[in-house]
Amino acid sequence: MNVETSRTRTPPAAWASFGLAIVGLLLAAYLTYEHFTDSATLACIGNGAIDCLKVTTSQWSEIAGVPVAVAGLAYFVAMTFLCVPLRSGRDLGLARLIGALAGTFMVLWLIYVELFLVGAICLWCTGVHLVTLLLLGAVLWWREADRSAYYSD
Amino acid sequence: MPNKAEPVGKGGKNVTHARERARLLKAQRERREARRRLLIRVGIPLLVVVLVIAVMVAVRATQQPAAAPAPAPASGSADAAVTQALAAIPADTFNAVGTGTVKAAPTAITGPALTADDKPRVLYVGAEYCPYCAAERWPMVVALSRFGSFSDLGQTTSAGADVYPSTATLSFHGAGYTSDLLSFTGVETTTNVPSGNGYTPLDTLSVTDQALDSQYNSAGSIPFVDFGNRYLISGASYDPAVLQGLTHEQIATALADPSSPVAQAVIGTANVITAALCKLTDNHPADVCSSAGVVAGAAKLAA
Repeated sequence: MNVETSRTRTPPAAWASFGLAIVGLLLAAYLTYEHFTDSATLACIGNGAIDCLKVTTSQWSEIAGVPVAVAGLAYFVAMTFLCVPLRSGRDLGLARLIGALAGTFMVLWLIYVELFLVGAICLWCTGVHLVTLLLLGAVLWWREADRSAYYSD
Repeated sequence: MPNKAEPVGKGGKNVTHARERARLLKAQRERREARRRLLIRVGIPLLVVVLVIAVMVAVRATQQPAAAPAPAPASGSADAAVTQALAAIPADTFNAVGTGTVKAAPTAITGPALTADDKPRVLYVGAEYCPYCAAERWPMVVALSRFGSFSDLGQTTSAGADVYPSTATLSFHGAGYTSDLLSFTGVETTTNVPSGNGYTPLDTLSVTDQALDSQYNSAGSIPFVDFGNRYLISGASYDPAVLQGLTHEQIATALADPSSPVAQAVIGTANVITAALCKLTDNHPADVCSSAGVVAGAAKLAA
């Protein structure tokens, strides 16, 4: 008889984490593509407060020679693998949590850079930041669901 | 048949109900506890992060930029030697450059003809702080000087704190343009002087020009140029990096050498813009519109 217990069932949080990691991956891939091609319009936007190009070409757009866009892409590739909703994925809970927390601290730093150092906001980057924060929530939710399942079985 | 483990009779029924109730109450307690744990372990960390972001936004909204932008040189009248050099580029130089290193050609659009004083009208919208506008003004002035003459051009630089900082350029603020073939309006919406989250306002678009800008430039990108509602430019047509570190005089001097990167970018773009202008003027003046450089520019325009 095939009995599905709460420990073998994939919690909704796992699917939410996986979905958010995929969305983040797509956004980071777009920003990386923009970084390495000339497709970006050589233009200023409005009054300068919302200006993606100003952010992505600033001196803070690279960390130790690595473009932030590329670091973001690598991050979401790793998070997508960590968030694959498989049974074996449960063993990766700690790595997933560390990844989500690291991403959140990076987001806080980048928001600080945008607001106080560059003086402009990139809406595409803001999308990535939002997804990263939601991913933290989903990963914490997943962790809690795993814990509950462990104690209830 | 009654379950062996369960008491029978009236008293037994009560005991069963009591156990069932206790089970339900326990399950309810567990669900409440699970919700409380979820709120504490998921909600509180997220709330802390959101609060940190909110504090940063609030602090930023109530203070001047922490990193004071490098002061940009004040705008003033353009150096006469510079404007004369731009208006006197030899035809051979235009032809030798062709399309040079131009990256983007004007895009064809359809709309009711934009005219003023019975002449096709060109509308330029930019801002003095914007480095891409700084780049685009050079070929705009060079191209339009083949159809008429400017007066009272300004001389300024892009913002010191932006990309391609302090790029030397001209300004259309307060400038006049005289031509038998074309009408030109240049609007510089801000200076290069920081103010709040942006820059100090300068020129204001007229209601009709604002409508054109909204219609053809919904993203609000600058520089934006409308060539008689037949072509438009949105963004710089070449890489502003070629102008980095050069003074106005050095840029004007470099235009005399067709092989210089500045001439390749500025004159190459000017030839493409001239080709768009020739479409508005029915190829007048003929010597300009039939020149090799402009013919090469027209090919880029059609591509």
